[in-house]
Amino acid sequence: MFPNTINTYLLISALLFAIGFLGVLVRRNTLVIYMCLELMLVASTLALVAFSRFNGSMDGNVFVFFILTVAAAEVAVGLAIIVALFRKRQTLQVDRLDGLRN
Amino acid sequence: MDSVHIALTVLLLPLVSAALIALFLRRRGGAAAAVSMGAVSVLAAGALALATRGGRFEASWEWFRLGDFAFSLGFLYDDLAALMLAIVAVVGFCVHLFSLGYMQDDPAKGRYFGGLSIFMFSMIGIVFADNLFMMFVFWELVGFSSWLLISHWYERPSASDAGKKAFIVNRVGDMGFLLGIILCYWQRGTVNLSELSAQADGGGAVFSRAIPLLLFCGAVGKSAQLPLQVWLPDAMEGPTPVSALIHAATMVAAGIYMLCRIHALMVPDALTAIMWVGTATALYSALCAVNQRDIKKVLAYSTLSQLGYMVAAFGLGSLRAPGSDAAAAAGAGVGAAMFHLTTHAFFKALLFLGSGSVIMGCHHEQDIFRMGGLAGRMKFTFAAFTVGVAAIVGLPFLAGFFSKDAILFLAFSNNKAVFAVLAITAALTAFYMVRLWRLVFFGPARSESAAHAHESGWTLTVPLAILAGLAILGGYTGAYPPVFSGVFSLIPEAEGGARAVILATSLVVLLVGAGTALALYGRKGVQPAGGAVADDRLQRILPRVFSFLVRLRESFDLAYDYYVAKVQQRFALVLNFFDVIVLAGFIVRGMAGVAGLVGLGARALNVGRVNVYVCWMLAGVAVLWILASR
Repeated sequence: MFPNTINTYLLISALLFAIGFLGVLVRRNTLVIYMCLELMLVASTLALVAFSRFNGSMDGNVFVFFILTVAAAEVAVGLAIIVALFRKRQTLQVDRLDGLRN
Repeated sequence: MDSVHIALTVLLLPLVSAALIALFLRRRGGAAAAVSMGAVSVLAAGALALATRGGRFEASWEWFRLGDFAFSLGFLYDDLAALMLAIVAVVGFCVHLFSLGYMQDDPAKGRYFGGLSIFMFSMIGIVFADNLFMMFVFWELVGFSSWLLISHWYERPSASDAGKKAFIVNRVGDMGFLLGIILCYWQRGTVNLSELSAQADGGGAVFSRAIPLLLFCGAVGKSAQLPLQVWLPDAMEGPTPVSALIHAATMVAAGIYMLCRIHALMVPDALTAIMWVGTATALYSALCAVNQRDIKKVLAYSTLSQLGYMVAAFGLGSLRAPGSDAAAAAGAGVGAAMFHLTTHAFFKALLFLGSGSVIMGCHHEQDIFRMGGLAGRMKFTFAAFTVGVAAIVGLPFLAGFFSKDAILFLAFSNNKAVFAVLAITAALTAFYMVRLWRLVFFGPARSESAAHAHESGWTLTVPLAILAGLAILGGYTGAYPPVFSGVFSLIPEAEGGARAVILATSLVVLLVGAGTALALYGRKGVQPAGGAVADDRLQRILPRVFSFLVRLRESFDLAYDYYVAKVQQRFALVLNFFDVIVLAGFIVRGMAGVAGLVGLGARALNVGRVNVYVCWMLAGVAVLWILASR
């Protein structure tokens, strides 16, 4: 159904990135926004793997390992922040978290 | 103490009193009244001492210097100033004394007496001023204190409006005065009065006419001459003693005094204009006074009319009769104007204080058709008021008779048309004053308050007695201390055939005016209305004439209303638009305005929502992309 070319993989990657970005834009729950961010990250990893596969080099795959490592650390920190935030404010809705206004 | 020290004391004492009252005694009316009364007593004593010493002096101190222009404060105490100072001091003393009784129960007594003190200070400053700039400073101070005292009862909208009106109308005249001073300095190089009179006529024909006419604008405003007369009748909203002091005897006479001070600058053309303005004011105001119902308004229009007399007398002095020399002719105008100013100050202050006594006796009733029969109940006020009326209508051997005859003689020998108008005015004066006198003091009492009228305490009667004495004696120049003869020797004296004509004229107009008034408002003239307001007999007999007079009186106010509301207001709107949008918005603010606008926009972005920030980030990326791909 889909031709096995790099464009197909890049299209899927862009689609995933767009879905993730849209989620960041419209969702109100911090946890969901966080998941959408991860989705965007994964979309970029997919593009890197595709580049690596079609170029016949390992450069892209190396980047993917780095990204996975950093993402794991980031999830640890980010989830910790979200838990701390929930304990403090009893909510995760971003429209209630508007302390920066005024 | 030498004379300069006395003069300084006389000038500064009321200022000290005003400062004391304003700073410490605003809530303590009794103490404020005592301070102000003490200051004016010492001041009166000092002024009379200064006069009887006979010394004349000039002294000045430099106040500040701007480049070549030195602004100096100084005294020029000559014959004219001596006479004016004595008038101001005596009338001021009487009015202060009267105020002690009249304003006894006023809650804002402190403010009132502070205002009186600051007025005395400003007025004496005008009297002493040795240059036009200094005179202008005190001129404005007088306007300020007048505003303060007219709007004394500021809770009443009419009083506060009247104060504002007086102030603003005076500004119009003062604009001309200031221009005249500047032009004078520019053209003559000095504004010092004695240097100016020593100078030979300088400048071209244009300047020699423009300077006196512009300076005269100041007098038109302050002395309420046509067409700026509208403020004076409204100024009657102030307390009655204030009307007596400021709006009858002294401040409004300052315009005449100023003209006499600068008479060396006058040229025949300017004087002719001044003469006609004065004559027109005299006639117009006398016509307005004829159908007034308010006792103070009658006196106000009568003041206007008498001021017109003085201005006309001053103007007439220029038109020298063939054969006499210029200096004597100019002096005759000054002499006649100052003589009438003096007698008028006495009898008009007397009339106003008398009306104050009547108003107080009748529990603040001012409508003369609701008075009546006061002669029996207020005997002393009646006697004093009668002297005042007799003096103003020119009954022989009283003050007004002599001074008015001097003016009539001047008019008779110089300009017959002016003479005719002034004679008609004199008849009208006799008519409305006798009408007032008849309605207030005789016939049945036409209201409850008039029926229970009573004489007030000694503080009200003593000033009346002093002023009544002066109104009787004021016409005899020989009765004054010889130190004042400097001015009085200038008074023109009628002789021969002219004397008989003048005497006959003034007696005929007096009889015609007074007789008409007594016939109209005599026994049958006023309905003995029980409680109902009696109507004016003139309105019943000659309704056309009556309504014409009402329209005449209102015409100026209507014209000014139209001008202010329809012309000036729209012009001001256009100017305001230009000022706010163009000048303030684009030129003055400039870069600061732009930065402020940007800041305003940037602040709107900062809403505190994560999603919105993400949107802006997206927009930023898009912009960067567009910029990078070009």
